[in-house]
Amino acid sequence: MKLKYVLSAMAVLVFMMLAGCQGEAEKSSGTKSKEEGTATIQFWHSLGGKNGEFMDQLIQRFNDSQDEVKVVGTFQGTYDETSTKLQQSISAKTGPDVTMLERAYVQQFAESEVLEDMTPYLKESGLKKGDFTKGLMGHSTFNDKLVSLPLNRSTPILHVNKTMLDEKGLKVPTTWDELNEVANALVVKEGDKVTRYGLTMPYDTWYPIAMISQSKGTYFNKDKTSVGFAKNDVGVKVFQYLKDMQKTGALYYPPAQDSGNIVNQMFAAGKVGLMFQSTGTIGDISQNTDFEYVTAFLPKNKIHATPTGGGNVAMLAGSENKEAAWKFIDFMMEDPKGLQQFIVETGYLPFTEKMVDSKEIQDLWTKEPNKKTAYDQLKYAVDNNKSVAWPETMHEFFSAIEAIMYDDEEIEPTLDQFKGEVERILSES
Amino acid sequence: MKKHNVWLSVDFLLKAAILFAFIFPFLWMISTSLQTFQETLSVPPTLIPSSPQWINFVEAMTSGPFATYAKNSIIITLSIIIIQFLVMIPAAYAFAKYEFFGKNVLFALVLIAFMMPGQVTFIPIYLMMADWGLIKTLIPQILPFMSNAFGIFLLRQYFMQIPEEIIEAARLDNASEFKIMWKIMTPMAKPALATIALFSFVSHWNDYFWPLVMTDSNEVRPLTLGIAMLKQSEGISNWHIIMAGNVVLVIPILIVYLLCSKQIVKAFVYSGIK
Repeated sequence: MKLKYVLSAMAVLVFMMLAGCQGEAEKSSGTKSKEEGTATIQFWHSLGGKNGEFMDQLIQRFNDSQDEVKVVGTFQGTYDETSTKLQQSISAKTGPDVTMLERAYVQQFAESEVLEDMTPYLKESGLKKGDFTKGLMGHSTFNDKLVSLPLNRSTPILHVNKTMLDEKGLKVPTTWDELNEVANALVVKEGDKVTRYGLTMPYDTWYPIAMISQSKGTYFNKDKTSVGFAKNDVGVKVFQYLKDMQKTGALYYPPAQDSGNIVNQMFAAGKVGLMFQSTGTIGDISQNTDFEYVTAFLPKNKIHATPTGGGNVAMLAGSENKEAAWKFIDFMMEDPKGLQQFIVETGYLPFTEKMVDSKEIQDLWTKEPNKKTAYDQLKYAVDNNKSVAWPETMHEFFSAIEAIMYDDEEIEPTLDQFKGEVERILSES
Repeated sequence: MKKHNVWLSVDFLLKAAILFAFIFPFLWMISTSLQTFQETLSVPPTLIPSSPQWINFVEAMTSGPFATYAKNSIIITLSIIIIQFLVMIPAAYAFAKYEFFGKNVLFALVLIAFMMPGQVTFIPIYLMMADWGLIKTLIPQILPFMSNAFGIFLLRQYFMQIPEEIIEAARLDNASEFKIMWKIMTPMAKPALATIALFSFVSHWNDYFWPLVMTDSNEVRPLTLGIAMLKQSEGISNWHIIMAGNVVLVIPILIVYLLCSKQIVKAFVYSGIK
């Protein structure tokens, strides 16, 4: 008999819990509608850690600055996870009003026509496309529609342990040949074991694409029917260059998992002298190194070139509060307390003339010239992996990089096979 | 006698080595959670922090609405376990001891559910939950786990081993089926129940994928997502803070494990059969 009571008590408890959840639902389901004339805007982003805290502060500054619009910012996982969540929530009509989108995913969403054209809003606020840094607007327009604006943008850059180079009397490399020499000269071995490497870079498609562009190749060809680095063996030469350096210990290619953190920590600990890595890490590195730390343009091969990265901001076509959503975006773009302050705090790139000319950014650059290098490099920015099919081919490119860098597969057949996959994917899309 | 001693020490060393291999990551996690940021970056790695930084725990727990996350984690995990037990015990009892039409087909369906990963079903379930307006509640994280196919399977095997005579004897004493199930079968299956409870607790407490895809707002998120948010999106991660968060996440698992392991041993020793 006693058991029966216990059981019914348990059942009651469960129902109470479920009812409790239901109660919370009612409380929070009001957020989308207007409450006392205040519109609530849902904003999704992928910023964790300190950058996430700076983003929360930006949202707080906006909410404090006026009382018509209230923004609720929510972290939705990594860039990839955010994009997956957007896909499912847009079809379920539970999507946000404003979202951060990794720039390479913009095309995919724009093609499905779920991103609002912001041209009229831009005009309304007295802004024009020309106000934005050209190198960072590569992913902003799709079929003449303005579907996204820059948010937290970065580029890869060369990070240099100047103290280590000076000890050997070496100069900061500006070309591939110099890079090869310097990286090899920095190697320290104990017996057969390398204890100090010359160059490193995270496991990512970004760096091979940068090097392909520097060799006058492109990721996709002009017609978007195949890869653009098969001609003159550009791709083979890029990977041969990396493989040759890897063999002598001049290049440390990190394990795939958490590679960004691994290379940052090796660089900060003086285990490697040169690093290709995002501009987004400059702040952290300069705070945690006791050697002379400088940044420089990525070395050129035939030409200088750099891809861009990071996130853009987009307004969703399904939003019911577009005017309010734009108000928030406009604040981020134009108010000195918007993204300008966020950029000073985090080290991402400024992207409007107004930001660049502002006292805050100019002061920052005088104090930390390393951050100016990244902005100056933008004149060489080029993105040649823009396509709806990019995310799909990216996975194939990762497989090719793994095969070559980790498994010592022959470069040419691996890239040929990759080319075949890209052509198949492009013909299907 | 001497030979015996040699084997004993080899045995001891092997066990110690295996124990160390399992425990070391935990010790490292605890050590990192008490280090300063500089210590987490040092090469060779710091093993014992120079002065324990308890402040890391404060920093981890104040970086977001951790009280809400913890409350959600507890409600979700406990609700799942309670509901699972209410569904699982009668189902397993019926599959083990009753003959009815379509029994084998139904049991095959249970096994198929057992083999279906969440990655296959999450989009339809999300759309369904959104349609019902439940995305801002905890229900999408509880309802899909109401029944536990692995649990039904394990418990059915366990019930099948219990001799029919015990049930017959109870029926002769005029015990209702309900009473037989809860007062005779269930206590005898304690080891299986403790095992299932432990597995269920660990998998739902630690789950990252399902809450990530089922929730859009912080009010309904569990601890795992809060801790993922501690990780720096670009730059050098604050491992000391992340590990402090992980220590907090792991402690309840250790407690439940200690409770269950005792229960399993006890049940094996005292249960009437085998």
